[in-house]
Amino acid sequence: MSIVPKETIAVIAQSIGIANLSSDVALALAPDVEYRLREIMQEAIKCMRHSKRTVLTAEDVNSALSLRNVEPIYGFASGDPLRFKRAVGHKDLFYIDDRDVDFKEVIDAPLPKAPLDTAVVAHWLAIEGVQPAIPENAPVEAIVAPSENKKSENSKEDGLLVDLKLPVKHVLSRELQLYFDKITELTVTRPESILCKEALVSLAVDSGIHPLVPYFSYFIADEVARSLNDLPILFALMRVVRSLLQNPHIHIEPYLHQLMPSIITCVVAKRLGSKITDNHWELRDFSANLAASVCKRYGHVYHNLQSRLTKTLINAFLDPSKALTQHYGAIQGLAALGTSVVRLLVLPNLEPYLQLLHPEMQLEKQKNEMKRKEAWRVYGALLRAAGKCLYDRLKLFPGLLSPPRHPGWRINGRVATSHSNKRMSSTNLSSQQPPFKKVAADGPTGAMQPIAMTANLQGAPDGFPTRSSGKGGSVAPKGSAVLAQAWKEDLDAGRLLASLFQLFGEGVFSFIQPVEMSFFI
Amino acid sequence: MLASGVPMEEEELQKAVVAYLRKKGFAKTEIALQEEQQNRLSSSSHPDLPLSRLENDPARYSGGYSKLRSWAYSSLDLYKHELLRVLYSVYIHCFMDLVAEGHMRDARTFFQTFREDHELTHLRDLQKLEGILSPSHLEEMELARSLRQNKVKIKICQYAYDLLLQYLQKTQSLTILGIINERINFEVSPGQPISISDDMEVVALVGSNHDQAKQINQKEVRWGLLEDSVEDRLERANSDSEKAEAENKELDPEDTKKRSVDGGKQAAPVKKPKKDKLVGATGKNVRSETSTAPVAPRVKPDLTLPIMPMEVEKAILEDLRNRVQLSSSALPSICFYTFINAHNGLNCSAISHDGSLVAGGFSDSSLKVWDMSKIGQSAKPGENDSIPSEHFLGTEGEGPYTLFHGHSGPIYSATFSPLGDFLLSSSSDSTIRLWSTNLNANLVCYKGHNYPVWDVQFSPVGHYFASSSHDRTARIWSMDRIQPLRIMAGHLSDVDCVQWHANCNYVATGSSDKTVRLWDVQSGECVRIFIGHRSTVLSLAMSPDGRFMASGDEDGTIMMWDLSSGRCISPLMGHSSCVWTLAFSREGSLLASGAADCTVKLWDVTTSMKGQKIEESKPSSINRLRLLKALPTKSTPVYTLQFSRRNLLFAAGALSKC
Repeated sequence: MSIVPKETIAVIAQSIGIANLSSDVALALAPDVEYRLREIMQEAIKCMRHSKRTVLTAEDVNSALSLRNVEPIYGFASGDPLRFKRAVGHKDLFYIDDRDVDFKEVIDAPLPKAPLDTAVVAHWLAIEGVQPAIPENAPVEAIVAPSENKKSENSKEDGLLVDLKLPVKHVLSRELQLYFDKITELTVTRPESILCKEALVSLAVDSGIHPLVPYFSYFIADEVARSLNDLPILFALMRVVRSLLQNPHIHIEPYLHQLMPSIITCVVAKRLGSKITDNHWELRDFSANLAASVCKRYGHVYHNLQSRLTKTLINAFLDPSKALTQHYGAIQGLAALGTSVVRLLVLPNLEPYLQLLHPEMQLEKQKNEMKRKEAWRVYGALLRAAGKCLYDRLKLFPGLLSPPRHPGWRINGRVATSHSNKRMSSTNLSSQQPPFKKVAADGPTGAMQPIAMTANLQGAPDGFPTRSSGKGGSVAPKGSAVLAQAWKEDLDAGRLLASLFQLFGEGVFSFIQPVEMSFFI
Repeated sequence: MLASGVPMEEEELQKAVVAYLRKKGFAKTEIALQEEQQNRLSSSSHPDLPLSRLENDPARYSGGYSKLRSWAYSSLDLYKHELLRVLYSVYIHCFMDLVAEGHMRDARTFFQTFREDHELTHLRDLQKLEGILSPSHLEEMELARSLRQNKVKIKICQYAYDLLLQYLQKTQSLTILGIINERINFEVSPGQPISISDDMEVVALVGSNHDQAKQINQKEVRWGLLEDSVEDRLERANSDSEKAEAENKELDPEDTKKRSVDGGKQAAPVKKPKKDKLVGATGKNVRSETSTAPVAPRVKPDLTLPIMPMEVEKAILEDLRNRVQLSSSALPSICFYTFINAHNGLNCSAISHDGSLVAGGFSDSSLKVWDMSKIGQSAKPGENDSIPSEHFLGTEGEGPYTLFHGHSGPIYSATFSPLGDFLLSSSSDSTIRLWSTNLNANLVCYKGHNYPVWDVQFSPVGHYFASSSHDRTARIWSMDRIQPLRIMAGHLSDVDCVQWHANCNYVATGSSDKTVRLWDVQSGECVRIFIGHRSTVLSLAMSPDGRFMASGDEDGTIMMWDLSSGRCISPLMGHSSCVWTLAFSREGSLLASGAADCTVKLWDVTTSMKGQKIEESKPSSINRLRLLKALPTKSTPVYTLQFSRRNLLFAAGALSKC
């Protein structure tokens, strides 16, 4: 009936030398032991409360014991938490892991560092009832909340507004200075270290670093300009930017104008890194995504942000004098901004651009191995961007291609696809011809031509400046016209696919789900 | 529990009553008769009702109780909570009776079976009672003893009472009837049942005798402020100068007349209590006058007060002139002193009245004092964030604090004298030590308590101080004597905190018995018992106008009390953990509370006081005090709060890594 079983009493009796304790005695003793235990715990809780703690420690129990004039139990009052081990073979039985300590080892060991001495630091928890956002204070839920408060306050008391606007000298606490120095040093000297990764995490979550944001944005702008040929540093800097953007406690909008050029530099710079082996493509992808995320988050606040970004990118994309690496960055940047941007800006220019690109991709025309590789990269990026756009369209308008689904038909389609695929890939590899020419000669797409034609006819009255240059042969104008109209919302995905297929070959098919594809082929 | 001759008579009487009622139904007169009968029975000196004890079967308790329980739970919603209150008393007494009769096993099963029902409201008591395992424990444990010795008074409305009686008679559950007769005193009120939120007493039904408390609370408390205090003089000086400016010299005689009238008014309330005291009458007191008077009345000090040096008085006057007026729309600035690297050893902290000195009492029995005015300029910590850290790096070789060694046990409390020249600390070594912050030395060691001294507080005028201890007493001391001047005994458990009234004539103590008591310093008598907390009272604060008191407990509840009536104005809910500290702003419009949940909360107290005045005509209406602002700290529980004379709020706490 007591929670202390009589066996426990017997065991304790044995351990203090009473071998034959009768079970009656144990049974009678057990309830009292439980009562005493509870009594001691009650006193221990009092001691805990008066030590202004909410966690009971071994020390409190000892204090309670001494309150009752009982010798404290020694050996448990050390600072580190007790380690319990599970007894082998028992589920709920634990014992304290009491290691033997070799005195010689203890004596020989170097003295541990003295613990830091207690100190008192002062800060403002509130100024006239408003909590200042300083690192010493607990993080406010988000940066938006206090600004709203301020607004409402200002509207109430106009006198306060004037006080707030007074120019104040920006004073950084010593801790913040140290923090800034440490982080900047880390990013510049050891960008790949684990410590740097932790620093990035800290940047992303720490609530008190808001005063440092102007310093960081200046540092990033400065350092990007300086170390264009040091890829790891650039990468680390971009990661710093990402962390700053992630931090919910930072009010970064006012500094975006300083950060954006650096990010765009990392997207479309001519040369990033010094060695050929440097994987600057990855950096471009990363930065492109970064730029896109900035647009997504702050686009509604700064209306010209996205337009300026796209203008910069499209300029880089359409300028033939720019290097292929720059083109690549521009395409990635545009692609990251979303499929609508691709549809609006890339697809209309796709065909003439590819015409320029193809010579670069061919072994016979471009002897420089490096250049050719770059060209293929650009081609890949274009294919991905266009394909994604297509995929998106297909998902958006599934009604456009809802055929009366017939299982037999579908199987046939499948077979046909695989068949043509084989054929095409073989031809593709053997003769390094521009794909669209091949496509023009190809059987399956020939069936699509009438549709493309009608599209062309419809498009002409609209007066859209078609970019059909006539260089690409008989089919090309139709394809380009479709592409030029790609910005139209109601464009049939089927036509888009057809024209893309003309340009890229069956590489496009990887962006279409098999079921839907079966309908096309 | 033996059957003697007298109880047998009672039994017959009881039977007669039962029969009578059964015959007649429940008309009003019968009920009244029954009620009288009940009261007579229960107040008789023979608590035993042998008819239920003749058969010594333990199962009858659980059987009877479970029947009563299912009946109470299926009763009308409107009256249910009143019946459930009865149910709880019956439950604990069933359990204790079982224990007393020696049916340990049955008692345990009974306790566990129905424990869940009452855990929500009575968890702490249940945890204590759970430990009772033998009849001897009933005698030993203070809670059980007081429960068994005193009758519980339960307010119940007429109809619920009728229902209960009807049920008990119908079912013939004599065991339960016996317990109810023996342990419960019903206070039947006509009309509707009391709302649930009103029945604060239900929680504290254990521990203290309500009649006694009621009797004590009849005594008069002169809560007025001291006459001729510095504040008083400032006010008078202001009004004088205003008058002088406003009125011409021609009106001088009138002016003086007016002033003399003022003086007369002021003198009146002072005289009256004195006279009352001489006569010994408790009748009409100052209260009726003061509730209408806009200013708090003035009283004479019972203690001889220390004389204040001129320059100090000037400084205080200067502070008073520069005081920021706080209100619900003008919140205070809060300067937070964080103890870093305390390694979980900080037990208490204290801040001097001007905020320049900060003391920390540690569990390693050391007391450390930081002079914040030397570390940069503490008054403007925002501008000097970097400077303190430089100091702490310690290039001078010695720490930036003064270390006081002397205690031989953890320090539980520290307090600065109003002028900041002395520091008192209390420790688990059962002593209190007086330190001089000018000489950096221990001056006196006060020995008197026998157990750890939980709290020590300087009086608002200095020189006197009060202490409270695990030995269930509070003591009043003066700095120049090593023996206590008064010993206040009466609490049923540890006295956990102590606080002086603004006029120094009273001391309030909060205890583990969940009550707060107010003691007259002069006579050493208890003049008020405040019942309502559900757990240990950890902190107390007195309003500067002397009228109200706030107390905070372990559960995070803060209660505002009216000293003159002894009633709770309203509980302040908001904290989720122990309220370590409370402080009224200097003009009394705000209450600040600091708790273990790492927040400082600011409460509007003015609304309640206004409400209180209206309330006097309609006492049942509840108006909640308003939470103005909750300020979270960075994982720093708040140990101490202190308003400076200029109404800047200082707070202190130890940074805890969790």
